[in-house]
Amino acid sequence: MSLPVLLEFARIGFVNMLAFRLRYYTGVVTYFINVTVYYFIWRAIYRMDPTYAGLTFQEMVTYVAVGWVIRSMYFNNIDTQMAADILEGRISLVLLKPVSVQWSYIARALGESAFRLGMLTTPTALVLALVFPVQPPASVAHFGAFVVALLASVLMVGALNFIVGTCALVLTSILGLLRAKFWAQELLSGLLVPISLFPSPFREICAWLPFQHIAFTPLMIYLGRLSWPEILRVLLLDWVWVVVLLLFGAWYWRRLSVRLTVHGG
Amino acid sequence: MKLMPAIVRVENLVKEFRTIERREGLLGALQDLFHPRYRTIRAVDGISFEVRAGEMVGYIGPNGAGKSTTIKMLTGILVPTAGTVTANGYVPWRDRAAYTATIGVVFGQRTQLWWDIAVIESFRLLKKIYNVSDADFRARLRYFDELLEVGRYLHTPVRKLSLGERMRCDVAAALLHNPPLVFLDEPTIGLDIVAKENIRSFLREVNQRYGTTILLTTHDLSDIEQLCNRLIIIDRGRLLFDGELTALRDQLWREQAIRVFLKDRDQADVLERLQVPGATCERLDALTYRLRFPRAERRVAEVIRAVVNAVEVRDIVIEEQSIEDVVRRVYLGEVLQEARR
Repeated sequence: MSLPVLLEFARIGFVNMLAFRLRYYTGVVTYFINVTVYYFIWRAIYRMDPTYAGLTFQEMVTYVAVGWVIRSMYFNNIDTQMAADILEGRISLVLLKPVSVQWSYIARALGESAFRLGMLTTPTALVLALVFPVQPPASVAHFGAFVVALLASVLMVGALNFIVGTCALVLTSILGLLRAKFWAQELLSGLLVPISLFPSPFREICAWLPFQHIAFTPLMIYLGRLSWPEILRVLLLDWVWVVVLLLFGAWYWRRLSVRLTVHGG
Repeated sequence: MKLMPAIVRVENLVKEFRTIERREGLLGALQDLFHPRYRTIRAVDGISFEVRAGEMVGYIGPNGAGKSTTIKMLTGILVPTAGTVTANGYVPWRDRAAYTATIGVVFGQRTQLWWDIAVIESFRLLKKIYNVSDADFRARLRYFDELLEVGRYLHTPVRKLSLGERMRCDVAAALLHNPPLVFLDEPTIGLDIVAKENIRSFLREVNQRYGTTILLTTHDLSDIEQLCNRLIIIDRGRLLFDGELTALRDQLWREQAIRVFLKDRDQADVLERLQVPGATCERLDALTYRLRFPRAERRVAEVIRAVVNAVEVRDIVIEEQSIEDVVRRVYLGEVLQEARR
């Protein structure tokens, strides 16, 4: 799929979000409430142990606040959209176009992320920075590396969601899988609890999974908890995962789409 | 008519679906969970036909005949169980991306436009997808506006359009890249007479101007009468008829009827006594009679002459057999032989 077509799909994703812009004014409130809840939970824990998990309280608040701010950007629900398109037969309209199915969905997700960046991420970041003691990034260079990692997060969530959405080709009901994937991602990405707090075998397993690159590693880079050789290694691994997941998704779609049945009409 | 090359070639096309046959009751549901019983349904069962460039072909059949399934295989959405299809030189499901660039498709029951945003945004996306130049894009929008009057809906979100308005936009969207081959699955479903006529005349015009090949399914036989020179009828996945509409009518319309309105009662006795060879006379009411005779043996003019020479008539009506009647008889299983190709 050529770049102009990709951009046009992204533009459609953006324009489509404009139709629902009101939803984002409430989104800021939702994210604010989430961060507030975690703020009080962590404050209670740090009252008992001020050096918990090797992070200071202020670092933990920053982790939580920045974590939710970036979630507002990398999040997309193309898995749900795909599942609905497949189960309701609208997928045929995607198949009728001379475009890659995978990239038409991911490009739309990118357009939505661009929209969220302006309408949700930026206002949420401003509100949180005003209310909570959030630290700035460790340095300008760290912030640059953080942005590179964040771009990979957006693509990775898109690639993962495409794989999950593809499962709808062989399942009559996909709600359970969507839920399970949603919570697995929230937990394994390190958004709810930093992965360094997980018990030992679990932590090692996470290191072999792609999810930690969605939130945990970008946040560690932001906080300056990784040395530069570590940052470079993590970024490389991060982008390798993105490529692997995209390739797997393309292969998986090709394999399952042969079994497609389009219902109705 | 000069013979154009075949643009679509379908041979022994078969599509089977496997469904779970549900048992009854709670116990049955539990059994289903562990030992599901599968049933194979043959939606399309060995269909072959060809479509030549520039043809307008109607593809009809009762509900569940396998029309939409065929269209979905011809457009590359579904992979057939067996058989071959070549269209525009491609195997649709294998070369999907390259093939779909050369066709246009309308599913009357679904819209390909983005539901929540203005029509023009969808058109702009299609322009990019099909790589339509700015000049062509403007020219075609003007052309579509002339014929379909889509211009005034361009800036309205699709969800706010009426069905007729939406369908016009959908047809325009499918033809934006001026494809040589167009599939329309029930393009006039649910539309009023004016909107239907509008879409029909547009398709006729595009067919004449660009030589666009059109294959359409419909339940409205006036679509066929007004658009298609050729008709393919299928039922239960099998081909019942493939040929010209007039050939079908000739074949099934074996009996001609005329209705005779008499001047007064005295004429009734005369008519009843009159023997027109090969015709049977049937009394409808005091002054109205119907004469029926085989179309192959008697000409209408002959019978009319015989009648007016013998009795004084107020009027005579020649009963046309409608295309609906003809097709109904095919659906109900009337045997078709000669016209099958």
